[in-house]
Amino acid sequence: MNYSDPRLQNLLAGEYVLGLMRGAARRRCERLMMEMPSLASAVTAWEECFAAWASRLSPLQPPGYLEWRLMGRVRRESQPRGERLRNTFWRTWAVAATVVLALIIVTQKLTPTTEPKAAEFALMSDAKGTPLWLISVHPEARRVDMKVVTANPVPAGKSYELWMLPDGGKPVPMGLMNETGLASETVPPELLARLLAAKALAISLEPKGGSPTGQPTGPVLWVAPLVAS
Amino acid sequence: MPPASPAGIQDRNRHLADLLHACAQGRQTAFQALYREVSPQLFAVLVRILKRRDLAEEALQDALLSAWRNAGSYSAEKGTPMTWLVSICRYRALDMLRREKREVSLDTDQEDLDGEGQQVADGAMVTDAVNVSKAEERKLDDCMRRLNEGQQRSIRLAYVDGCTHEEIAAQVGSPVGTVKSWVRRGLESLKRCLEAA
Repeated sequence: MNYSDPRLQNLLAGEYVLGLMRGAARRRCERLMMEMPSLASAVTAWEECFAAWASRLSPLQPPGYLEWRLMGRVRRESQPRGERLRNTFWRTWAVAATVVLALIIVTQKLTPTTEPKAAEFALMSDAKGTPLWLISVHPEARRVDMKVVTANPVPAGKSYELWMLPDGGKPVPMGLMNETGLASETVPPELLARLLAAKALAISLEPKGGSPTGQPTGPVLWVAPLVAS
Repeated sequence: MPPASPAGIQDRNRHLADLLHACAQGRQTAFQALYREVSPQLFAVLVRILKRRDLAEEALQDALLSAWRNAGSYSAEKGTPMTWLVSICRYRALDMLRREKREVSLDTDQEDLDGEGQQVADGAMVTDAVNVSKAEERKLDDCMRRLNEGQQRSIRLAYVDGCTHEEIAAQVGSPVGTVKSWVRRGLESLKRCLEAA
């Protein structure tokens, strides 16, 4: 097969861009593109040609939590290596803490107790992986507990606000974060189901007393997945 | 969503290229701005191909993270910024589709392509990257109209919906072999038409 034939290159490039080449053929074409600039530019030409169709699809807004999740990943990746190593330390610490937590939950399950157990947890950690708050959802008590793990002072004139990130739809305000000890927020019944279905919680920096608009107005500082116990 | 005038398109391309350049320097705010600007269009492309929102979300996240990591490798030779981003997304989505269907599909494309190689004689030169503007979009429309209906549908279903030869064959109700030759003849005629004029 003579790959230097421009007509064949055009065909290969076209089928590659259309997505009609699969498996080994696709990988081979990618390898050839690196070796043959003319094939690579034939691919680009087709990409550019058909991109017109992509731009004609009606835009679709992705769910809000995707941006937060993505920015979180980017922030973590941007840390210098030293910090990342420390991060690994804290992550190990966090995993250990989670295991201990799980053990406590299991023990609590075995011991009858009057306090209904929490259904979901979220561990908020900073960019270095230092755990800041442990947030737990108690559906039977319709309550969210926010326990300070590492104190994290709020800048003057500001508040940290907690948000629920529902599966699709806008963030829902869940109350202000405490700076020390343990604080609880009561959750209205209509919010509870959504909270239990939510995938993640987030904390943003807001003017003192919380966001004036009902939506985050300041930077989103931390996002954590809600995990079932 | 895309601006109507060619000048508007050029401004937008320049703006997106600037954002990619800033991403390459590690500026996260630029990445956030880029995300806000391009994600609705990219998400539409992904939902259309993957047919499932959860998969489209995963693909968008993977693709844009890869764009962030590789922003430094973007250059004008790779097409407009939007084309570059759309391509990253589409290939990611296609990989996901193929991964899901891996156990079903049997690869016969290899021999087919080798066979086709002998049939293809020497011909027209491949031109350098085309820049998408409204005029070029019109040219694509005009050239597409010159293909027969089977060729048009096959090429569209492959690009827009990420269909395989087999899926196209099922949708248009023709044998797979016919679809394969429609695509190849269609691509050849399209190239000839796009190069003329």
